[in-house]
Amino acid sequence: MIGALLVAALAAVALGGAMGIRRRGFEAGLLLQAAGAAGVGVAGFWALGSGTALGSGFSSSLDPRFGVDGLSGLFLGTLGLIAAPALVFSLRYLRPTRQGRAVAALTAAFLLALALVVSARDPLTFLTGWELMTLLSATVILVARSGDRRARQTVFHYLAVTHLGGVGTWIAVLLLAQADAVGNPAAIESGSGLQIAIALAALVGMGTKAGVMPVHVWLPRAHPLAPAPVSALMSGVMIKVALYGLVRVLVEWVGILPVWLGVLVLAVGAFSAVGGVVYALFQHDLKRLLALHSIENVGIIVLGLGACLVLRARGAEAWAAFALGAALLHTVNHAVFKALLFLGAGTFERAAGSLELDRLGGLLRRMPWTGGAFLVGAMAIAGLPPLNGFASEWLTLQALLHVTAYGAAGDGIAGAVALAALGSTAALALFCFVKVVGLVLLGEPRTPAVAAAEEAPLPMWAPLVFLAGACGALGLAPGLLFGPLVGLAPWSDGMPTSAGLELPGTGSLSGIWTAVVLGSVATGLLLLRGNRSAAAAPSWACGQQLVPALRWTSAGFTKPLRLVLESVLRPQRDVAVRSAGGVVQEVSYSGHVPHLIEERLYAPATRVSLGAAAHARRLQSGSLGTYVTYLAALVLVLLAAARLGWLG
Amino acid sequence: MSTETALAGVVQAVGGIALAPLLPGLVQHWKARLQGRRGPSPLQPYRELRRLWGKSTVAPEGASAVYRLAPSVVGASLVAAVLVIPVAETAPSFGIGHDALVLIGLLALARFAVAASSWDVANGFSLMGASRDLTLSVFVEATLVLSLAVAALVAGTTDLRGIIGMTAGTHAWTDPALSLGAVAFALVVVAETGRQPVDNPDTHLELTMIHEGPLLEYAGRDLAYLQWAAAARHWLVLVLAAQVFLPHPSTVWAQLAVLPLVLLLLSAALALVETLVAKMRVLLVPGLLAAGAAAALLGIASWLAGSA
Repeated sequence: MIGALLVAALAAVALGGAMGIRRRGFEAGLLLQAAGAAGVGVAGFWALGSGTALGSGFSSSLDPRFGVDGLSGLFLGTLGLIAAPALVFSLRYLRPTRQGRAVAALTAAFLLALALVVSARDPLTFLTGWELMTLLSATVILVARSGDRRARQTVFHYLAVTHLGGVGTWIAVLLLAQADAVGNPAAIESGSGLQIAIALAALVGMGTKAGVMPVHVWLPRAHPLAPAPVSALMSGVMIKVALYGLVRVLVEWVGILPVWLGVLVLAVGAFSAVGGVVYALFQHDLKRLLALHSIENVGIIVLGLGACLVLRARGAEAWAAFALGAALLHTVNHAVFKALLFLGAGTFERAAGSLELDRLGGLLRRMPWTGGAFLVGAMAIAGLPPLNGFASEWLTLQALLHVTAYGAAGDGIAGAVALAALGSTAALALFCFVKVVGLVLLGEPRTPAVAAAEEAPLPMWAPLVFLAGACGALGLAPGLLFGPLVGLAPWSDGMPTSAGLELPGTGSLSGIWTAVVLGSVATGLLLLRGNRSAAAAPSWACGQQLVPALRWTSAGFTKPLRLVLESVLRPQRDVAVRSAGGVVQEVSYSGHVPHLIEERLYAPATRVSLGAAAHARRLQSGSLGTYVTYLAALVLVLLAAARLGWLG
Repeated sequence: MSTETALAGVVQAVGGIALAPLLPGLVQHWKARLQGRRGPSPLQPYRELRRLWGKSTVAPEGASAVYRLAPSVVGASLVAAVLVIPVAETAPSFGIGHDALVLIGLLALARFAVAASSWDVANGFSLMGASRDLTLSVFVEATLVLSLAVAALVAGTTDLRGIIGMTAGTHAWTDPALSLGAVAFALVVVAETGRQPVDNPDTHLELTMIHEGPLLEYAGRDLAYLQWAAAARHWLVLVLAAQVFLPHPSTVWAQLAVLPLVLLLLSAALALVETLVAKMRVLLVPGLLAAGAAAALLGIASWLAGSA
């Protein structure tokens, strides 16, 4: 039944993609794709809830096999949950030009590739899907940005980084296949060199695709370039599929890893979480800021994963399963609110013509539906109760606390440091999204184009409202999803499902009651406050008039933190004063926070490899004589080797 | 429900909501005495709330619904936080549980509402205060999480009722962990209550305001909610300090009996600190809070060494 639904839904996605190629079938094709995606979502969550495995199981042989189990179901469900609203959004966002139709058709192919990765049951199909999802997303960007030279360069960068890093994925999967360990953890000895090699290779390869620091450099460049629905799918689903791979390898297939590897994963997660959000805070472009937040949230998910690995190595099986559940719950949560925010950013770009934070403002009143949904998404990603981001961050905090509680000296301290890192990350994310909400939605519009912005058509705001509703629902009853997620750990028997989060040794978190208390008290206070107010007054600026030049900017708002972190971030600042005859004519100011990992780590590496390439190029002189000399030298060396008996 | 639990619930809800304004009033009163002035009566915050209650609110030009909603959201999240923090080792469930880490989320919600409202009125002084508050919050949250983690590790649970029960008596103090956690929490108390050396609650200069800055535009009942919320923050952190991070007796009756005395002492201690210490440069505060976080980490290390 689930299998039939899934196959039919995937066929609908494919058919919808094909229909959309023709101008007449554009809208019907997108709607069919959306319906198919919704079907995939239902089938996925159904498979997760029922806990049954469909199709074949995992095998190390190279014959193509397909199947779906609970974990695949979760990711298929997330895929549908994000793709269906994103495709409905595309109805008005994409235009039925050649380009728009090509993007729509490629989106269908991209979705199928993502579904292929999570339903593959043999190494070859898995790797095929893995490469296809990179190539197709790159193609979508190229098609959508045809003629943009910088975009081409960025896509090349994206492909280069993910393929260099992606080697790790191939090594990990092929080593697993060789050891006959795909889906068979008994085949690998715990603590063996092979196990460590597979885990490290997977961490590098799949980590690159997931966007963990320091191998994240492609992400903040590539995600903002794509059209909004595709950005939503890339940030919401594609990097999650990379995490799916990581969960399969690290949690399911390689057996119990040594503690230090779990601590390494924790360190990577903490670094990504803090690093991602700090750089996001100093961004002034909304889409790039959102892309950097994806790194932060992947970091939070990886923290949960690391906690799971450490706790499992320490024998705390119940809490290891909870930690895995926390990581997976945050995966779904992040997919929902990040897709919402990316779609919202796309809408604002259409309406206001810019995504530069300092050139927006006042959009909440002009676009109440889009703006309201965006506000909910921002509060969810900032981890505010009673929305979904808080539930999974609370769970991750609890998991990290238990890393310390069950740990010895080293991993205990690592858990505590990760705990502090997650606490700061939550505060930094709040800081960042207060800035975003303030600059985009509140205050007065800052350009005439923004002042003239109007609400988007219904097919564009309705998906946003749906996703905002999902943020609320997942926050009110996180336990309904968390229960089955805990059961996904191979060593766990699952836990009874209830709406709230009731874990042993915690004071429990009830989303519904938090919402009831907050909602009823706030309503009561609002009613008591009444609507009486004095005449409208200008806001107080010490008697000055609030002119546009006095408006606060993104850089100004984050300045205190930039000053505090100056020694770490090394912000650059140039002030040029032009004066004539002792009178200042013009002051120009520019400042930015450089991306240190790119400048300190990647730039030297690029220089060295380009230099080496330049040296190597001298060998290829192009003159026939040189090549004949090479050939002759080779023949001579081979003859000498044969004579000396080196060739056996 | 036993009598003890019911009584603890009444103290928690009534104390947190109705008696909270007394705490900043006491601090101001004693601070004035320490400085040789007669000063306002400890009941002054109530008088101010009554005065504000009768005044009309202000609608700044260009402000949206966010500005109007913010004070109620702040009030609601502080009420929820009051219901989360128990005053003794037993407390009725108000539905939302008693988890220590939930407190962090509720305080964050209040902070978000205040900072968003200052963007809404687009007042530079409000935004300056909000941006400083958010900058400090990065370090406050890390320190708060770590100090709560120390208490949770010592007690073996993050349920605050359990934490109060397990840290009662003298047993928990044989290990230095809790004392180091208390040092960290002391800094959180100063930062969350907005007192010197982190912030100066008496300042009337917009440029130096942190917590007061974002409230500049508010008047009437809006301001009353926000001022009550500031007082409720005193209640939350001082109750936690008294019942977790200071030695306390191990029966519910004794805990409830001792609480008022300890709250009085802690208010006096805040007044003393305010009198002795000048306000720090705002950019130096993160260093102070980081020292607190380091103390809490040491506490965790000591707990790990003790439990191994």
